[in-house]
Amino acid sequence: MNPMIEAGTAMNAAANTGAQLPRKGADQPPVLLYENVRKLYGDFVALNNVSLQVNKGEVMCLIGPSGSGKSTLLRCTNVLETLNGGRVLLDGVPLPTRETEIRKVRQRMGMVFQSFELFPHKTALDNVAMGPITVLGMRVREARTRALALLDKVGLASKAESFPAYLSGGQQQRVAIARALAMEPEVMLFDEPTSALDPETVGEVLNVMKKLAQEGMTMIVVTHEMSFAQRVANWVVVFENGAIMEEGPPAQIFDHPTVARTRDFLGHLGWNG
Amino acid sequence: MNFDWNVIWTHRQALLEGAAMTIGLTVVTMLLAVPGGILLALMRLSSNKAISSASLAFVEFFRNLPLILVIYWAFYVMPIAFDVQFSALTTALVALVLNISAYNAETFRAGINSIRKGQMEAALAMGMSRRQAMFKVVIPQAARRILPVLASTWISLFKDTSLVSVIAVSELAYTSMQIRAQTFRVLEMLTAMAAMYWLMGYPQAKLVDWIHKKYGVKE
Repeated sequence: MNPMIEAGTAMNAAANTGAQLPRKGADQPPVLLYENVRKLYGDFVALNNVSLQVNKGEVMCLIGPSGSGKSTLLRCTNVLETLNGGRVLLDGVPLPTRETEIRKVRQRMGMVFQSFELFPHKTALDNVAMGPITVLGMRVREARTRALALLDKVGLASKAESFPAYLSGGQQQRVAIARALAMEPEVMLFDEPTSALDPETVGEVLNVMKKLAQEGMTMIVVTHEMSFAQRVANWVVVFENGAIMEEGPPAQIFDHPTVARTRDFLGHLGWNG
Repeated sequence: MNFDWNVIWTHRQALLEGAAMTIGLTVVTMLLAVPGGILLALMRLSSNKAISSASLAFVEFFRNLPLILVIYWAFYVMPIAFDVQFSALTTALVALVLNISAYNAETFRAGINSIRKGQMEAALAMGMSRRQAMFKVVIPQAARRILPVLASTWISLFKDTSLVSVIAVSELAYTSMQIRAQTFRVLEMLTAMAAMYWLMGYPQAKLVDWIHKKYGVKE
């Protein structure tokens, strides 16, 4: 076939799907699939029939106003919250309800919290080694070797013996990322990882996350860091009032939002992309 | 008035044995009442209503009865009501453990509740079971936080062991009173007893302060 025509066909196909490039990981079955997920807190509808898919190797950023359901979706993903309707499939299998199976699923997902939640009575190294030792039954020496390698990866090998109270917010969050990675998860869940940080330490945490993204880790990131979402995400989902307002590649969301409310939300943040 | 302080030296053997018994009672009571308190606190925090209520009932029952009454009750009523007969020493331990467990339960419950929810969630998110999360993450932190309260309970307990003298357990108070009765040296024996309690109690309080400084977690 004429190469010109071939290129033209590819471009046409891309134009038909409304994106410049095919969505990352679209050639494989989705890692996570949310089907009509519903979550209530009393009368408050936190998630209202949310359907979404997360592909392998994708970095998905969830953005939107506070209380719009982003964090709740994350917490439903590793069963810290139970659903009131719909279902979530991990590698095609619905999330379990039995305690022992829930634990198995949680081992496959690492979670990073807004407030770090490092264990203050353990050193950085022991924080990271704890999961493999307690949950996987790994030998202490082996777990500590793994932990040290991970601390090195987040640039904190020199702080291995420090207690969390003696680390800056950014350092604590990097240890928390290493701790989540120690379980060798398939998916990483980040719940506003930089929201509690001093502005000057936000960058070091985002850099670690960026590195992780480049290694092909599947990541769901709830964030207010729009520039991170724009530069690192493959897919951006905008939440409002427990529902998805708009989703698409960052170029669409930030440069040509199709929904007026997305434009309003980004406008409120002072985003004028 | 003439004093005869020699009576103390003469009876030093008995007094030291009494002091040893007082320390022994305190240590053994606390060794049992700490796990007892943790167990009751965990029962209280259980989502099972029956378990939680049982713990609440136990705590409120023993916390609101005078210890001396519990000691008498254990000594005189337990044999009749439940047909169990223990030695005076065991009976004393039972009464002390019941009372101190109730106090420790409240202390541990407060400590566990003071650890923020995110710590439990972080542990669960790793794949730990609730039990692992509780025993490896929450309770170790709670225990450090409540150490000053446990220390106060310890000092109170150390002094309150004197109450078991009413059922003739030969700890320091009982021994001193016995010597007093034999020698009629009231003031000397009471002074000796006060001095011994204080000299043993004060270093314990200091020791706990030191432990807290050394092992307390900076947050």
